[in-house]
Amino acid sequence: MIIDVNTWAGHCWALPVDGSVEAVCASLHAVDVGMCFLSPMSAAWFPNPHSCNGEVYEATNEQVEISPVPILSPRMSTWREELKTAANHSSVKAVKLLPAYHGYELQDANELFAELSKTELVVIVQTRLEDPRRHHPLAQIPDVSAEAVAAIAHTFGDLQIIIGGPRSYEIAALGEKLLRLPNLWADVSQADGMDQVKLFVESGLTDKLLFGSHAPFFIPHSAVLRVVNDLEDADAEAILCGNAMRLFRL
Amino acid sequence: MNVSEIRNRLKPPCPALDVHVHPLHCFGPYKTVTAGEDAHLLIETGKRAGVEKMCLFSLCPGVPREPTMQQCREANDYVQKLREIAPDVFLPFCYVTPEFPEESAAEIDRCVGGMRFPGVKLWVSRRATDVGLDPICEAAIKHDVPLLQHSWIKTTGNLPGESFPADVADMARRHPKARIIMAHLNGGGLQGIEDVKGCPNIVVDTSGGDPESGMVEAAVARLGPTRVVYGSDMPVRQLGTQLGKTLGTTLSLQIKKDILWNNAARLLPDWAGVEVLP
Repeated sequence: MIIDVNTWAGHCWALPVDGSVEAVCASLHAVDVGMCFLSPMSAAWFPNPHSCNGEVYEATNEQVEISPVPILSPRMSTWREELKTAANHSSVKAVKLLPAYHGYELQDANELFAELSKTELVVIVQTRLEDPRRHHPLAQIPDVSAEAVAAIAHTFGDLQIIIGGPRSYEIAALGEKLLRLPNLWADVSQADGMDQVKLFVESGLTDKLLFGSHAPFFIPHSAVLRVVNDLEDADAEAILCGNAMRLFRL
Repeated sequence: MNVSEIRNRLKPPCPALDVHVHPLHCFGPYKTVTAGEDAHLLIETGKRAGVEKMCLFSLCPGVPREPTMQQCREANDYVQKLREIAPDVFLPFCYVTPEFPEESAAEIDRCVGGMRFPGVKLWVSRRATDVGLDPICEAAIKHDVPLLQHSWIKTTGNLPGESFPADVADMARRHPKARIIMAHLNGGGLQGIEDVKGCPNIVVDTSGGDPESGMVEAAVARLGPTRVVYGSDMPVRQLGTQLGKTLGTTLSLQIKKDILWNNAARLLPDWAGVEVLP
């Protein structure tokens, strides 16, 4: 069973794709994903992103097990309430942050990270949703620096942090920190380039990489081929499933 | 988990012909020193992904946006070396620049007429609206080979000489007998598809950009199933992520085969030796 740590549901504003829970899960099931960590896409733009979390709290699917990943924003005065809701929800194992979309710097969210450290929740910091070259011209959102995410992991050593959607060059640049910080992980949903995941494995990063598809923005078939095409079976299995099982204690 | 089973089930249903590959001496994750190593790495990656043939063009070491003709000649000599190493895999395209129209036409005569390169590559030195492209298009028509033209619509701003899809459409209308491959479906996006819809002599390659959902289906719906060809932009992109753009669609098996092989095979000249699959 493949575990996908980076999926979304909702109306996709930029692409001709069905973002319903049913359609997303069907596309994941087609490539053997058995469990997905699902966030509400609409939370990126909605004035109160927390109000979008109901979409994933309520989501169910017969083919793919869904673990809801609510979006938290420290810009919302009620973030403690939302964190409490997430922490008390039996299926929630992670929360996700969209700092660039919600207008804050990671270093300004220390209070949130400190509170998250007191829970069992993993935090995913999404560094990019779309290639900036393809943004709407009046809605250009800068990427979040993967290096800045690593700095948070360094500061909050009790908090498990996934860098969501880093590019290959960022994973390569963070290689030593990924190895040194036991609480820092990277998903490979946007790690493109010839042999890149293979080269990460050869540099010893196998145990710090997690499978992510970024569906429905991206095609799950592409995400799985990215891993299975160039890796030995044992390394592929670790990235597709084993590492996530270890991180989320599944 | 049976990774081998997953790998086998997700692989292409037929051999793939990649119309957009760069050698590793331009850029990429490996610091290659010889053409032999370059060829070996590309071939091995291709084998793992199911890509059997690659249209190959160099953008010159250092990737100058406005290369000299000497740089273009050296780039073309380099891909010819790779073809000599693996003639069954590599289909070299002749890289030229409309900054030097007549010299470029002469270079096409040398590479296509002389060495039987089966295509021509244009990148970002001048937009496709530039008259400097006209002698190049005429040379491609004379030798009966396709022209592959880079294009993109960048919110962050195109380079000064970087073509928009509408520029490629302009070129296609000026040269209706030219067979044009417009690169980077995802770069042009839905607007790019509309920009070239009225130009039957343009096909769009799926190379480059992220593996965004719905784009290949949209291209097939608007352009028809014969006007989309598979490309990767390797080594900038990984073959699997780019193949998945086609394999991960709900298109029919026959359309997938056409995109992965047949549509490109029909564009190439006979001497390329690429047969259309049944």
